[in-house]
Amino acid sequence: MIPACKQIRKDILSIAKSSGHGHIPTCFSIVETLYAVYDVMNHRSADPRWEGRDIFVLSKGHGALAHYCLLANLGYFDITRVHAFGAFMSDFGCHADRIKVPGIEVSTGSLGHGIGVAAGIALAFKIKKSPRKVYVLVGDGESNEGSVWEAVLVAVNRGLDNLTVLYDDNRSHSRGLQIHDPVAHFRGFDCDVVEVPGHDLPALKEAIQRPAKGVKVIAARTVKGYGSPTLINDQYAWHRRSPNEEEFNIMMRELDEKTI
Amino acid sequence: MRKQFRDTITALAALDERIIMLLGDVSVYLMNDFQQRYPDRFYNLGICENSIISIAAGLGSQGFIPFAHTIAPFITERSYEQIKLDLCYNQFGGSIVSCGASFDYAWDGATHHTYTDLAILRLLPGCDVLQPGSRKELDVLMRSQYTSGRTTYYRLSDHPHSIDLPVKFGKGVALKDCGAPVTVMTAGPLLRNVLEACKDLEVNFVYFHTIKPIDRELITKFANTKILVIHDAFGLHEAINEVPGLRTYYHGLPDAFCGWYGRLEDIRTKLGLDVQGIRTRVQRALSSEKG
Repeated sequence: MIPACKQIRKDILSIAKSSGHGHIPTCFSIVETLYAVYDVMNHRSADPRWEGRDIFVLSKGHGALAHYCLLANLGYFDITRVHAFGAFMSDFGCHADRIKVPGIEVSTGSLGHGIGVAAGIALAFKIKKSPRKVYVLVGDGESNEGSVWEAVLVAVNRGLDNLTVLYDDNRSHSRGLQIHDPVAHFRGFDCDVVEVPGHDLPALKEAIQRPAKGVKVIAARTVKGYGSPTLINDQYAWHRRSPNEEEFNIMMRELDEKTI
Repeated sequence: MRKQFRDTITALAALDERIIMLLGDVSVYLMNDFQQRYPDRFYNLGICENSIISIAAGLGSQGFIPFAHTIAPFITERSYEQIKLDLCYNQFGGSIVSCGASFDYAWDGATHHTYTDLAILRLLPGCDVLQPGSRKELDVLMRSQYTSGRTTYYRLSDHPHSIDLPVKFGKGVALKDCGAPVTVMTAGPLLRNVLEACKDLEVNFVYFHTIKPIDRELITKFANTKILVIHDAFGLHEAINEVPGLRTYYHGLPDAFCGWYGRLEDIRTKLGLDVQGIRTRVQRALSSEKG
């Protein structure tokens, strides 16, 4: 784990602890994916509305805390602001509001929405003949929603090869409606699919940079709670929990012990 | 009225390159000319109403002015959350243009009837709700509102009236103000029936094409009268009651599915929304203290 990704996880933990909110395991599963996308895409933290920027949409909106911590790490705003996470009148809600937070392009939260809006943005760039790209991070549990597949159908049909779907395959749905083989599902829709280890930054970046034949899907095999055995071993109990002092110290120690 | 939609949007598209047409596999043949003129701005996205709204939101976020058009129940009731979140909450402007409500598809039954659209959409912050009753009203409202940047709902009708009235967004029209103790209020294409039913009755008469924002100032002028709202949908009655302290009565839809098939006229007659049914109800209002 690179230092930046470790720091983002520590920020997530600290804010979850102080605020009493947070989907920590799902936030931990997407850190490398988020980091890789922002490392590759065109954006300017000092000018979030820069007209040449690529667009990132967090369709699985409950990962907002990870997104905030990444944006703070990249300099969009100071991390101290995020400590008001979920508080009354805070700009940083448990699901992000694009009007309030620099760098948030689409307000999400209800699952199955962000991917459709992202497809619309990709279509807009096609109409404008713009080289700008669109990235959307979709959860595997979220993909129980029919609107995810409807949007994929439209995107493929419209030839949106400027759209990349990052599929967070953290097996969060293993107790519910399962998608056993997401690669086959997306290929069935004629997407250009590649499967990568979801915490391997070089592999993620290579997959993101690879030219696509059509709508690109990167199925990132991730682990809920990656970096903390405590979270990994009891991910359902930790789905919405925040840690107490003792649990916090254990998880921070686990992160420090994580060397890969 | 769909032809008017075609004519107006085609004319606007010639002036404004930001306009994008999104169809839900409806009115495709009708829009042939638009498609041929502006192939890069015409998308028949198929039968996926949720995605049509989401795509519209994405286009709106990048400065385009999308018009999403398909059948009323599917684009409003089925896609309600997409309208609420993707368009309204995100403040990505876009227009929704429906066809088929309330009972334009009478023969198709309850799956295709739509009388909740106006009521549910007026509850959404940032959403303007329009029920143009005539071709002129549609044309004027579209031209005045398409650049508002807000989510705007236009409900088309296959049975418009042709009564020529002044049209201004957000403004109702007092067709008759005779100081009567009863005021009849209606909206949209039903105007023709209501007007015919009331033509020789001593009632005040107010008409709306804009359900939200409702013309509170005009309603307030009749606040001291008994107000009978006659409408073939929900939403107008509730909107009128934004003005506090009114004494209103509603003549329209029951709390039941209207699965009788047949023609629009058949359904209206069954509901008492034909000329005779409306007349009987207004006469009762005139003779009864209770409304």
